[in-house]
Amino acid sequence: MFKNIILKITYFFMITFICLAKVSANTIEANFVYVGDEGSSALLGVKQGLKEANLQGQFLNQKYNLDVISSAKVTEHDFSGYIAILTAVDINTYKALTSTHPDMPVFNLSINDDDLRAECINNALHTIPSLRMKSDAEKQWKKKETDSDARAQAWHHDFKKFAARDLNKRFKKNHKIEMDDYAWAGWAAVKMTSDTVARTNIVNTSEMLNYLKQDLVFDGQKGSNMNFRETGQLRQLMLLIENNKIVAEAPVRGVAKPPTLDSLGTLSCEK
Amino acid sequence: MKFANILILSAVFIFNSVSAEPTGRIFVTNERDDTLTVINGNTLDVETTIEIGERPRGIGLSPDGSELYVAVSEENKIRVVDPVSLKILRDFEAGSDPETFAVHPNGNVYVSNEDEAKASAFNPKTGEMLVEIQVGLEPEGVAISPDGKRVIVTSESTNMLHVIKVPEHTIEHNILVGSRPRAATFTRTSDIAYATAEISGEVMKVDMNTGKVLLKAGTGHEKSKPKDVLLSKDESVIYVAGGRSNKVKVMDANTFEIIKMIPVGKRVWGLAMTKDKKKLFTTDGVSGTVSVIDTDKNDVIKTIKVGEFPWGVVVHD
Repeated sequence: MFKNIILKITYFFMITFICLAKVSANTIEANFVYVGDEGSSALLGVKQGLKEANLQGQFLNQKYNLDVISSAKVTEHDFSGYIAILTAVDINTYKALTSTHPDMPVFNLSINDDDLRAECINNALHTIPSLRMKSDAEKQWKKKETDSDARAQAWHHDFKKFAARDLNKRFKKNHKIEMDDYAWAGWAAVKMTSDTVARTNIVNTSEMLNYLKQDLVFDGQKGSNMNFRETGQLRQLMLLIENNKIVAEAPVRGVAKPPTLDSLGTLSCEK
Repeated sequence: MKFANILILSAVFIFNSVSAEPTGRIFVTNERDDTLTVINGNTLDVETTIEIGERPRGIGLSPDGSELYVAVSEENKIRVVDPVSLKILRDFEAGSDPETFAVHPNGNVYVSNEDEAKASAFNPKTGEMLVEIQVGLEPEGVAISPDGKRVIVTSESTNMLHVIKVPEHTIEHNILVGSRPRAATFTRTSDIAYATAEISGEVMKVDMNTGKVLLKAGTGHEKSKPKDVLLSKDESVIYVAGGRSNKVKVMDANTFEIIKMIPVGKRVWGLAMTKDKKKLFTTDGVSGTVSVIDTDKNDVIKTIKVGEFPWGVVVHD
């Protein structure tokens, strides 16, 4: 009787162990951490990206997790074990994070400062456009439509082309607000990282950083293959908005010089 | 069973037992102006244009040719039309935002529901949903093997071809491919499929038994953004709708060497062929035209003005 129970228990643990071993052998897990305000739209974008990453992951045995911490907790938090750090913080906190974690991709989802790009911090990845990208887009459009006072944005809730319509719909359904520039920047950071995990099985941070900077081909529902400049800025199409309506896309056709995506923003690093 | 249902079923039965003479017509959905263009197959002139419903996109025929199906995406329905009398017969609910679908040899309709990350199968006679299958984000293209044993659904945002086994309706392979896979087509023997990826601008040849990509190549143009793909009669050549390159690419099916680029209208997406594969029809979205290609010469023999943003095309022959 007693022997029988022991045997059953042994079998139970053996089977559990075999099952666990099988799952862990086949499943890739990747963890993100978001640093910033919990109420920001950037975080909602990150959550949207995570949901989509896990939807893809279920077909490939890949699982993605997210930790959220406030910028006040940065110094005490242990950042080991993450595939990337996603931030919507002030510029000093951002720079500190890049320098304390030099081998990790540190995404900037909120700062539009041009000097930050010109510093060319090796592990800084800016999915949000810089001020200069916006002003260049506006200038190009002014050359064509002199009376227009359209302003440039990275994203707009009415953007439909390139299946942007679908992303806008999904986002609004899940978060009850319209997707904005920060939400798009958060979504894009998670999406390009998880797409890379899916394609390459990379889970090492410095390999991920290299891949994102050197080999990335990202669609981002903006219709073209996007990638990063030496400055860490994501090359991307901009939208020109007047009276809350999309009036044009930049690079403006016929105005911008090829390679057209590089007609927007700073290209070079400061000496 | 309600009397009305019995009446409908008997009507369906009687209707189906009369095998419809093919009209030779070409049917085209016009996404922007909510219409269906009917083209005479002999004269290649527009016969008539029908108000069909909101945002018509995918289009297909029942295996016996007696019914024409049109996905009216904004209404979340598939509308059933008599291809002879051109009367609207009925609708059935086809899930959220049905875009593309394919008709199985057994008559069931497999739909991609773009909003829901699902593919679903319907019995078009009763409108009953038979199964829902979870797939990747923004499912788009649907293709069914001639032997009826496999369905391919492409998911654009998850960058996969999902190969679904029929009748089990389980996923056999999830094949990670280039960015934004759009459409697929099978060989006659059902063991090879060709597919396109829009943003990466690629075509690929996939082994259906192993789920392995055998060959892939670009389509020879930066703006290519390929969509529909079809095989020639002897299956030595594929025709690829080249999107904003405004060309149909004629490519060797074994090497993917580009044999010819046929200039058509702007933003070419949809493709359909006659059963004898002698004529190829394209929908040129931005131009609002259908181009007719003679597949012996691989030249456009006629350009037909249709509605705004023509999307899908099918030949009733």
